[in-house]
Amino acid sequence: MTALDPDILEPTDGRGPWLEFLCRACGMIYNERDGDPDSGIAPGTRFDDIPDDWCCPICGVRKQDFEPYVRPQGHALAAPLVRKADGGVVIIGAGIAGWAVAGEIRQRDADIPITLITRCAGDVYHKPELAVAFARGMSPDKLRRENGSDAANRLNVRLVRQCSVVGIAPRFGRVRTTRGTFRYDSLVIASGARAQMPTGLDPALCWRINHLQAWEGLHLALKGGTRRVAIIGAGMVGCELAEDLARAGHHVDLVSVTTEPMEGFLPSPAGARVRHGLETLGVRYVRMSGVRALSRGAAGRLLVHPVACDEAPVEVDEVVCATGVATPSRLFQAAGLAFSNGLVVDPQSLQTSAEGIYALGDCISLEGAPCRFVEPIFKQASAIAAAITGSSDGTYIHRPPVIRLKLRAVPIVIEGQICRDGEWRMVRESPERLEMEHYRQGHVTARLVA
Amino acid sequence: MDAIITDASCDAAPGAADRGADVALDNRLADIAALAETRLAPMAARIDEGHYPLDMMAPLARAGAFGFHLSAQGARYDLALAAMETISAACGSTGFLTWSHDVMGLYLDQSGNNALKARLLPGHVAGETFGGTALSNPMKALAGIEPMLLKAVPVVGGWRVSGSLPWVSHIGPGQYCAAIATVREGHEMMFLLPLDERAKLRPCPKFSGMEGTGTWGITLDDFFVPHEDVIADPARPFIKRIRAAFILLQAGMATGITLGAINDIRSVEGHLGHVNRFLHDGADELEAELDDLRTRALKLAQTPFEASDDYLMNVLDVRAEGGELVLRAAQSALLHQGARGYLMSSAPQRRIRESHFVAIVTPAIKHLRWEMARLEREVMPLAENAA
Repeated sequence: MTALDPDILEPTDGRGPWLEFLCRACGMIYNERDGDPDSGIAPGTRFDDIPDDWCCPICGVRKQDFEPYVRPQGHALAAPLVRKADGGVVIIGAGIAGWAVAGEIRQRDADIPITLITRCAGDVYHKPELAVAFARGMSPDKLRRENGSDAANRLNVRLVRQCSVVGIAPRFGRVRTTRGTFRYDSLVIASGARAQMPTGLDPALCWRINHLQAWEGLHLALKGGTRRVAIIGAGMVGCELAEDLARAGHHVDLVSVTTEPMEGFLPSPAGARVRHGLETLGVRYVRMSGVRALSRGAAGRLLVHPVACDEAPVEVDEVVCATGVATPSRLFQAAGLAFSNGLVVDPQSLQTSAEGIYALGDCISLEGAPCRFVEPIFKQASAIAAAITGSSDGTYIHRPPVIRLKLRAVPIVIEGQICRDGEWRMVRESPERLEMEHYRQGHVTARLVA
Repeated sequence: MDAIITDASCDAAPGAADRGADVALDNRLADIAALAETRLAPMAARIDEGHYPLDMMAPLARAGAFGFHLSAQGARYDLALAAMETISAACGSTGFLTWSHDVMGLYLDQSGNNALKARLLPGHVAGETFGGTALSNPMKALAGIEPMLLKAVPVVGGWRVSGSLPWVSHIGPGQYCAAIATVREGHEMMFLLPLDERAKLRPCPKFSGMEGTGTWGITLDDFFVPHEDVIADPARPFIKRIRAAFILLQAGMATGITLGAINDIRSVEGHLGHVNRFLHDGADELEAELDDLRTRALKLAQTPFEASDDYLMNVLDVRAEGGELVLRAAQSALLHQGARGYLMSSAPQRRIRESHFVAIVTPAIKHLRWEMARLEREVMPLAENAA
């Protein structure tokens, strides 16, 4: 009430302070103190005392279409955007890739305007840590290495948070977002991939741990007790999370369609070691024909229903789906950018099919295949920054990264490239150590040590 | 075709028939363009000030302007957009009436109430009767932006509907519109609202422009709606199905007013080009963006009932972009024309107000962004430990 004119009378009718009423149709506010003199309602007229045939002075709806109105207090609304710069570099995505590019560009050019647009809060964290964070007793605050605004200030970046890019116009150098249209001279797409779910699963019933915010939600859900968690999918992420949750004291059902974990990626002797290692930690490996649906059962527990009728459903407190990620294609295809399992980029320059638009990290595909590991991202960021700032320090040379599974129970390291048409051959096997080699057309393309 | 058919003419027949149909459609669009240019454009200022141009809507209907998108005419949403663009370029108010009339036709066309369709749609398309759409509030209500203003109570033989709607366009005494009322939480029904003596129409406060759009406030008190007048019950699945088409058609208003603004810029190029080159958003620049936008809208128009979120997202994006482009184009046209564009009788200053309308009419730019943000949000479980 403090915003109102103090000269007008205070209520003396003993019916409490003046109230306000909102027209639900047009948003006009009737204030009892001010009345509606234009319609013959004197200042100080209580809303209840207004004749029933009175209408909203703006839009004409009736008295009964008004509702009591309480002014919102304080800071509930996001601050409006102040547009300082136009053009320059626009980066989409504030994950490791987005921040890496921002840092690399700033290192080479102190002045070029950088705008970083992100769906999330833009806080800086290291995504691989999410796979081991429960067992280490981490909290969201500890995982957050730097607040988004602090990082933006440090790098002199305009950070636009809680904002989704909905359209790209390569011909005109513009990106359209849920908070307006931005111009760019160079665009860097670092928007990552999104978790995929088997069809038929209700997304409101299962977590997908693909970013800090999701991890934060699961962390909150598991707080303060031992829970039973089903993890659907025994790929790399599913296995890492199973170990992490088991080590943190939770009961884990690792639900998989395959005989051994990470089938198709690990040879079966290595998969068997992973399964054995996880089982030693108390993880239950549940072979299932497939997951048909999730439902909420008695006492709020969740049921994971198998495809085959003769298999029993699994009953748990929380469900996590770890059935892979994919790059959403709509935005890029609508913009006419070449797309094949990800944004198609030139393997050296990381430029997409449109001039001045670069991409890196989880959203790209190199020669038809995505490469979703952290290690190459920094080299990619450096190459893009060099191209944008015109410095001569580098093209990108793609090398398959060394893969270290973050499984303490069974440390596995793979170097080289695994091909779908290759085969694994045993080098030596003992209870302590497994060594295998991956062959394609008579040549070793990868080595595995477990 | 039933005379003497040789083998050769038999082979050629489908192509020839297609070409014949194409020529007929081209002729229809040409007729509409001629009407827009010679009769509508000179009336635009008068319509802007308050003349509700049913005298123009009738000949446009006879020229076939309001039927392209109907299933009986091949669901040519691309041509409906083209017609709306041509009309909007001459007069934004009439462009909006075209959209209102088109979507009322869309509701009838897609309704499962075949008797209602048969009773009303032929006269509606032919311009013998006129009616608009009262879906601004329901569209916002179903998106969670504001509460539903009409309530329906089941009675013998139908419903009784009460409540007030603030501004409904392309209506008047004796006309009709489509409206939606809440039955109970989560259940709404959509119905034909004939504006007879039982419906109270109130004049709206004066708007800054587009006064000739037949816009009134409506109050209903226990208004009886017979089952025969129900368009869809429940309304939600119906709205979900037609929503993209409803929004996409508005792109025709945006492209049309933008085109009009570009024409305004070009019309002074000869004598003002030497100074206008110091302005940005010139005709060529705007035209390139308009072409790009139109191409995308026409592509989306090929599948107006596609149900995916990706499709809806593309439609929302096109519509929002249309809202932004038309604002820039109208603003630029006035700057290019200078003082003459600022005259009360000039097209550029009228188009400024028309462009504002495109930006704020439901779904407004802010509603579109709200909806796109909603579609982008990842659904996750609620952490029940939060308390």
